[in-house]
Amino acid sequence: MKINGVQIDDTFAEAFPMKATRIIITAMNLKWAYRAANALRGFATSVIACGVEADIERELTTEETPDGRPGISVMIFAMSNKELGKQIPVRVGQTVMTTVTTACYSGLDSETEVAMGKSLRYFGDGYQISKLVNGKRFWRIPVMHGEFICEETTGVTKAIGGGNFLVLAKTAREGIQACEKAVDAIKKVDGVITAFPGGVVGSGSKVGSKYPFLSASTNEAYCPTLKGVVKSELGPEIGSVLEIVINGLDEKSVAEAMKIGIRAACSYGPKQGICRISAGNYGGNLGPHLFYLKEILK
Amino acid sequence: MNTLILSLKSKPSFMLDMSPLIPEKVMGLNQAKIKQIKLVYGKETISVGSLFNVSGKAGENLMIEHSCDKLICVGKNMSSGHLSVDGDVGDLLGQSMTNGQIDIQGHAGSWVGTAMKGGRINISGNAGDFVGAGLPGDTFGMNRGIIYIAGNVGDRLGDQMRRGMIFVKGKAGDYCGSRMHAGTIVILDSIGKYPGNAMRRGTILLAKKPKHIAASFKSCGNLKMQFLRLFFTQLSQIDDEFNFLKKHGPLAHRFSGDLARNGKGELLILQAMERR
Repeated sequence: MKINGVQIDDTFAEAFPMKATRIIITAMNLKWAYRAANALRGFATSVIACGVEADIERELTTEETPDGRPGISVMIFAMSNKELGKQIPVRVGQTVMTTVTTACYSGLDSETEVAMGKSLRYFGDGYQISKLVNGKRFWRIPVMHGEFICEETTGVTKAIGGGNFLVLAKTAREGIQACEKAVDAIKKVDGVITAFPGGVVGSGSKVGSKYPFLSASTNEAYCPTLKGVVKSELGPEIGSVLEIVINGLDEKSVAEAMKIGIRAACSYGPKQGICRISAGNYGGNLGPHLFYLKEILK
Repeated sequence: MNTLILSLKSKPSFMLDMSPLIPEKVMGLNQAKIKQIKLVYGKETISVGSLFNVSGKAGENLMIEHSCDKLICVGKNMSSGHLSVDGDVGDLLGQSMTNGQIDIQGHAGSWVGTAMKGGRINISGNAGDFVGAGLPGDTFGMNRGIIYIAGNVGDRLGDQMRRGMIFVKGKAGDYCGSRMHAGTIVILDSIGKYPGNAMRRGTILLAKKPKHIAASFKSCGNLKMQFLRLFFTQLSQIDDEFNFLKKHGPLAHRFSGDLARNGKGELLILQAMERR
């Protein structure tokens, strides 16, 4: 199978179950909402070492936010409810609450919830005020800029992490160009994020290592500098491999994001250095969600 | 949707306890059975059929026509459905109700929504004293739910209120929010003396500066209360009736009190509305 002259490998991406929540951050303007959101999603690229994977989902209009101010929705993925419950209060407390004029709300209604304001309220040192409005509990925490408003809990839902595709290019510069276009296209799909910096992974990993203390290590089969040393998946024309990892709320949204991302990357074609599209998998041993490239690109 | 209509034949001489006539209690009963339901009438009991003309089919909706202030305990213990009343009602409207909605096209007596635990009461006219309060001897007043009053209310609104919201478009009397434990009271017109007297927590939101604020309330100054943005936006999602609030706030003069009782409650006087 080829798209615009780019070879699509007969392979599949292997994704695994995760838990996800969506948080809405509002502020006096989008500039400050972005500052909070960017801090919140900092150091949240991979659950391998960060605990969670997070990214900005999209901007929200004043009609879409609970308090009528401009806002941003951030999606946060973890391997378990327990890990989300540990990470959310810490991250919101240290990043959103510390950002001037912000407020933080749940963006996901679900029966399963993890604490947010419920934990952060103690920062109010006894001066915090609880308000039950429209069936939801909010905490008003007095802070030096005024009041930090935070919803008591945020909903958690089952989700999928690790949807991916690999862009095999002649050079890193050409690969990045195609990946940037792919990530821009993926941002238009609701319910998905690409948590790595710029949405692109420069150092994709395999499970395990020769070192027993390491759970993940470099994916040598896709390292251009090891082409002559290991059993490589790369042809002589490939000089750089970039990976786009997609987390989403369901299989449909992940498949849709992969589809439009691959098509966007392929729009550059071999003349602009894009040679092949492949996907990362572990022989079906890692997770139950298999995304066959040829099927989702039909 | 089925609606049972009870039309009052003539104004009763004594107080009539309407508590057996709520949607969930009459649902599924035919008209003959409904006419046989006994109501406490003064010191006696009387059948529904001798005071009301009964029509329609009992279901989720119950309508009372030509009502008057002798009808007490309307919607008491209601937990579902819709009860609408054309005319006035007496005391204890919606007492201890847990869910459902009551609409009154007229005035209501005292103790509206007392010990209420959920649902909504709308009154197009005025209401008496102790709206959303607890009964004498109760520790708490209303606990969840919304009471909306388009007219004026009497004294001791929200006395010992625990949770929920009372929204008054008109005036409120003295001691509004007295001994409040928590919850929110909104008054859009003038208010009497001693608002929030002995309140522990909770919010009394006023559109006009009260005539008198107790010395045990301390001014925190004019502040942009971000909570008001959230509150007004959320209210507009509950009902279009509250849509007009979206253009107000968040500037308010905050008074913290009652300091004689820990002072974690607040009086918020909307500044934008005051200037208007």
